[in-house]
Amino acid sequence: MPDAVAAQGAFLELSGISKRYAGVRALEGVDFACERGKIHAVLGENGAGKSTLIKIIAGVVQPDSGRMRLAGHDVTFATPSAANEAGVVCIFQELSLMPDLSVADNISIASPPRRFGLIDNRAQRRRAEQLLAEIGCEDINPLMRVRDLPLSRRQIVEIAKALGKRPRLLILDEATSALTSADVEKVYAMLARLKSEGVAILYISHRMHEVEALADRASVFRNGRHIETFDKGGRSTAEIVQLMIGRDIATQYPVKPVRTSVRPMLALDNLSWEGRLDRISLRVGAGEIVGLGGLDGQGQKSLLLALFGVLRGITGRVTVEDRDIRPSSPAAAKSAGIALVPEDRKTEGLMLPMSIVDNLVVASLDAISTGSLVDRAKERAAVERAIARLQIKIGAPGDAVSTLSGGNQQKVVLAKWLMTEPRIILLNDPTRGIDVGTKQELYRLMRELADQGAAILFYSTDYDELIGCCDRVAIMYDGRIVRELRGSDLTETNIIASALNIDAASAASAAHA
Amino acid sequence: MTSVSLNLSRDDRPILIAALFILVILVAGTVYTFARFGSAPLLSPTYLLQQLQIGAFLGIVAAGMMIVILIAQIDLSVPWTLAAAAMMATSIGGPLAIPVGLGIGLLVGLVNGIGVAYLRVPSMIFTLGVNAVMRGLMVAHTGGYAPQTAATDLMRSLAADRTLGIPNALFVWAAVSVLVAILLQRTALGRYIYAIGNKEAAAYLAGVDTRRVTVICFVICGVAAGLAGVLLAGYSTKAYQGMGDAYLLPSIAAVVIGGTNILGGRGRYLGTLVGVVLIVLLNSVLSIMDMPEAGRQVIYGLVIIFMLLVYGRGERVTS
Repeated sequence: MPDAVAAQGAFLELSGISKRYAGVRALEGVDFACERGKIHAVLGENGAGKSTLIKIIAGVVQPDSGRMRLAGHDVTFATPSAANEAGVVCIFQELSLMPDLSVADNISIASPPRRFGLIDNRAQRRRAEQLLAEIGCEDINPLMRVRDLPLSRRQIVEIAKALGKRPRLLILDEATSALTSADVEKVYAMLARLKSEGVAILYISHRMHEVEALADRASVFRNGRHIETFDKGGRSTAEIVQLMIGRDIATQYPVKPVRTSVRPMLALDNLSWEGRLDRISLRVGAGEIVGLGGLDGQGQKSLLLALFGVLRGITGRVTVEDRDIRPSSPAAAKSAGIALVPEDRKTEGLMLPMSIVDNLVVASLDAISTGSLVDRAKERAAVERAIARLQIKIGAPGDAVSTLSGGNQQKVVLAKWLMTEPRIILLNDPTRGIDVGTKQELYRLMRELADQGAAILFYSTDYDELIGCCDRVAIMYDGRIVRELRGSDLTETNIIASALNIDAASAASAAHA
Repeated sequence: MTSVSLNLSRDDRPILIAALFILVILVAGTVYTFARFGSAPLLSPTYLLQQLQIGAFLGIVAAGMMIVILIAQIDLSVPWTLAAAAMMATSIGGPLAIPVGLGIGLLVGLVNGIGVAYLRVPSMIFTLGVNAVMRGLMVAHTGGYAPQTAATDLMRSLAADRTLGIPNALFVWAAVSVLVAILLQRTALGRYIYAIGNKEAAAYLAGVDTRRVTVICFVICGVAAGLAGVLLAGYSTKAYQGMGDAYLLPSIAAVVIGGTNILGGRGRYLGTLVGVVLIVLLNSVLSIMDMPEAGRQVIYGLVIIFMLLVYGRGERVTS
């Protein structure tokens, strides 16, 4: 197979590439090739292995096994700069610009033009002007600080910086997600020109219409495997969605109870925040688990943070049991009965060097104190109860929480909040990086908490999990809730279709066909 | 089980090392005095009590400083908070002298806390600025001359008199120490202080009012500096400009030598006590040796750097 591709003049060729992170498979035996003068789209769900693929090609991580050939020669890139030297340049999703340096400084940061050993500012500025002109964005002043540019313009600077490295293979990882429509047009034109100059372009985007408009060819990834590659027009949108889903071994989920009426607990009306959250209205009843679905970064995390009082400048209404609340800080949210299991347990959920006890009781010290002194007996009892209830596997309660496994650390975060007896529990991707056994324990616990009357809002990047755990799933796209799925509508096809904000009916009909 | 002992040793090791070093200082000093004068003043209880009496002022400043360092901040306004409290207390005089002195400390702490917690100015800059402002205010207050007012009788009695042969200043220091130790070990506020020092974001997301706690910590540090100022004025029978200048670096050094992490979140109060004793004894041995001021500064600095190097090694291995 690789030989056949080579015959067509593949520029980049991967064969048998595998990569594991801490025992978790990210890529397995991937064969992949792309040609010069073609725009090649890479498609897949969250966690399908797209990012790992790109990181390997760009020299950010090293594959565990497999071979990479560039223009017919075996290559290994130990660092991103080694990849750059070979003409492989990547524009990553996260912006890599220094906000306090000028546009020109940023564009030439890796290899500034020099005169007598010192940076030649004039040459550097000319270079920036020239590169920006190539994208059609001459209006960006190279002397401006990047901090003062709007997000879309920063993305343009990022692209100019990549162009300055004269790529032979250009990788765009969601590089257009922040662009305004005017800038998108310019980038499209630039890509077309690069293509005609024979540059190979790898393009990752979650926007199907973009892929349709741009790509000459597309490859679908799923669960770390390369599923299929086809030319433009070879597959319908519905078929692509089907390829992205595939079929997988189902995890065991607790049975969902059938309810006739639900007592309202949490209600949001027209919640908005700085253009990142757009008039969100949602109800979560007591005993309900409501999922937040959609692609990464569509506002799900912001929504949870907004409810927990972390974000400033929220508009709209939040009511808990028919009473208006204004979550102005996590402390205020806590006293309203809201709990949040945050995204990153190592930096936001736990004080890693501190003991398990200290971490468990930090949110509920008021309850176990008499006067201003902590009641040691109550503290011990509460800690023992929490450890037993969640079956946290520990050496001694005085051990540093950093000595625990990831799953048990996450249980400590959850236990910490259960000690405050919350009415509303916000979960931000709580099972990420956790082994299957602990995951199932967490699912059971969630259902148990719901049965005891808690309202749970659950964001997960794992669709299977959303379907298995949730009574309803609200799909977010671009800061809005685009669809609410429940009952038999709660299928992976529908979630993905809604997440991509494409016509759900056509995707569904293809699934039944 | 092993991690428990590791955990303990992580906090206790510096305290042990510092305590050992105190022994070394005592032994070396005694050997020196014995060889030179044929006597051992360092081992006489009277001499030691006298040293501890002087150490009480540093100890009270260090207690407040430790609390601020535990939340990963610093208070550089201590010198002129101390001086201002002393100067205002003596110039008001009468029964209000001590409350006014403590009130000055509280006020400065409040300003520091608000500046750091709500205005989000880095504490190193903000408290440095406040120190300069306090200094200017005091110079304006006295018109550039040394204030003429003397300490009240109560201030003198608290700082210089003895009860049952023990200096009263030591009782004050002991009371402050008990309060701080209880605060850190037994109260919710103490737990929050360690939590913030370890990971402010995690403490915040656990619903801890981190800004309020930060303000409280600076207020405690300010009041401690104010109390030290009042006592020091009583000890020297008057207040004078620059009386706090000798307390900034030694108080930070005592806290850090006692094993408190300068980046916050870890450290026991016992360590700070040991650190204060170490610094006081080191100073007194160097002065017994008739070491010129320049040499004293060099040795003093080297000791601090050396102790931190010893701790730092263990740190890197455990992390």
